[in-house]
Amino acid sequence: MKKHLRKSFPIVVVALLAAGCASGVKNPSGVPVTRMNADEQGFVAGTGVESQDLVAVTDKMARSILAIPQIANASRPPFIVLEPVNNNTRFPINKDIFNTRIRTELNRKSLGKVVFLDRERMAALERERNLKRAGEVTSSADPNVQEFLGADYFLTGELQGMSTRTKAGTSDYILYAFRLTDARTSAIVWEDASEMKKQGLEDAAYR
Amino acid sequence: MKGCVQAALAGLLLVGAGCATTAPPPPRTGDIFLDAPAALERGPARDRVLWQYRLALAELRRGRFDAARPVLDDALLTLGGAFGPNAEARKSRRLFQAEAGKTFIGEPYERAMAYFYRGILYWRAGELDNARACFRSAQFEDSDSEQGQYRNDYVLFDYLDGLATAKLGGDGRDAWERAVQSARGAKPPPYDLAVNTLVFLDFGPGPLKYAGGEHGEQLRFRTAVSPVQAVQLRVSGQIVTVQSADDLNFQATTRGGRVMDHVLAGQAVFKATADSLGDAAILGGAILAGTSPRKSNQNEIGAGLMIAGVLGKIAAAATRPEADTRTWEALPQFLALGQFRLPPGEHTLTVDFLDAGGRAKPSLQKQITFTVPDRRDAVIYVSDQSTTPQTQ
Repeated sequence: MKKHLRKSFPIVVVALLAAGCASGVKNPSGVPVTRMNADEQGFVAGTGVESQDLVAVTDKMARSILAIPQIANASRPPFIVLEPVNNNTRFPINKDIFNTRIRTELNRKSLGKVVFLDRERMAALERERNLKRAGEVTSSADPNVQEFLGADYFLTGELQGMSTRTKAGTSDYILYAFRLTDARTSAIVWEDASEMKKQGLEDAAYR
Repeated sequence: MKGCVQAALAGLLLVGAGCATTAPPPPRTGDIFLDAPAALERGPARDRVLWQYRLALAELRRGRFDAARPVLDDALLTLGGAFGPNAEARKSRRLFQAEAGKTFIGEPYERAMAYFYRGILYWRAGELDNARACFRSAQFEDSDSEQGQYRNDYVLFDYLDGLATAKLGGDGRDAWERAVQSARGAKPPPYDLAVNTLVFLDFGPGPLKYAGGEHGEQLRFRTAVSPVQAVQLRVSGQIVTVQSADDLNFQATTRGGRVMDHVLAGQAVFKATADSLGDAAILGGAILAGTSPRKSNQNEIGAGLMIAGVLGKIAAAATRPEADTRTWEALPQFLALGQFRLPPGEHTLTVDFLDAGGRAKPSLQKQITFTVPDRRDAVIYVSDQSTTPQTQ
């Protein structure tokens, strides 16, 4: 019996060590940077708007807009003003990123079939024009002629959400809707939407 | 037997030495602007969000909104990504790990307040839709209370959701009606779209956590009666008395039980049982060993029982059923909102915090100078803990 006790003690000690030290940090050496495509879900994820959603939605919208007759068959490239996306979800987002990606995608894919008007920079543009009119800077054309272009279409987007949270988890549905409105007639000439639903559950320690 | 005892002692020393790998948190000075950066830089990662909450609120209270914004953003990123497997959280449910070993994101009322303060900053920046998103997320944090009547029952979050919607050209009546329904005191006023100055107010001592139960396994909240019960605002000849819309003490104490409470209760039962069995085994083993001849079987069984008892006692001592009492202690008890129509330009707001008898507390008076912009709302944040005077 004594012999057994002596033999078993080191095992108990090792077991205690193993159990006691199990509180060590996971990945103590860190995790190397993992390069991912913007349209794939990474190992860090929430139920909100993420890069893969942004890429999927803006890709779809850009393709969809270019296919409509008002753009595809236009005699001259229509002038489009992008309005800021209206966020009606429970997730605060950087709204400009939607417009930036749609604009760059359309510019890249349309090969000049659409022209975007830079209304975000109007203050700087007006200041420059006034400097030209005052003769304080040089001008390559008559600065007194109105050359700022008017929009043919407004491209607007809205994110709407529906969220549920119970002890079983959190569920978020987001509808990404975009539309192109004729600036002259107010007719909606194109509309498309994309939808995502995500569900997740926190560890019980947080519930 | 002597060899066994030596081996046990050596083992315990190894356990103690081998596990001392976690650096102690930096010493606290009591100055949040020193403690928080030190904790964020050198403290345990599990407390990072807590220190971010604390720092952001301290920055808000001295009017440094630009400093508060990135801190809150980072905290909310952690908060929004707490889904799925989480090694630290899983460990915090184990017998021999304290709950406080998990990454802190706070109880629902603390998470809600993080979103609320971020919402104020978005509104200040003129991003009403993002502000509304924050108020919705704040309300959402309260949506799984155990009892239905206490779910989604923050008044101000719904009210602000509707106000932002109305100001964005939408219909905020649903949200306003929810706010009216949740109001336990004064009903929130109908929306006035000509209002262009919002004064966000908080005051009184908020809930503090402590561990109750025999082994500290129950998360409880200590609340105090606030010396401030209402606020009087004076600006450009207008005087408005504002009552609180929400009470965080009420919110913290009406959540009901957590899933984690059941885990900790089970651990507390294990701890008590292992301790009692350890006592019984040591006592029984000692009696058996003491009353039987040396080197007899009974003597050895007695020794074995004593060892088992000691192991039981060790297991009981190592069991950590204590509830996580890390607290965002600077949170207020009451939330309120003041609204004004003011001409664009510079104004000075005087804020008096009133006691239950309606008397102003001179030591708490605040002076805020602010500018109402032409085309968007002026948003002011004032707490009874704010520095004064301030320019916002």
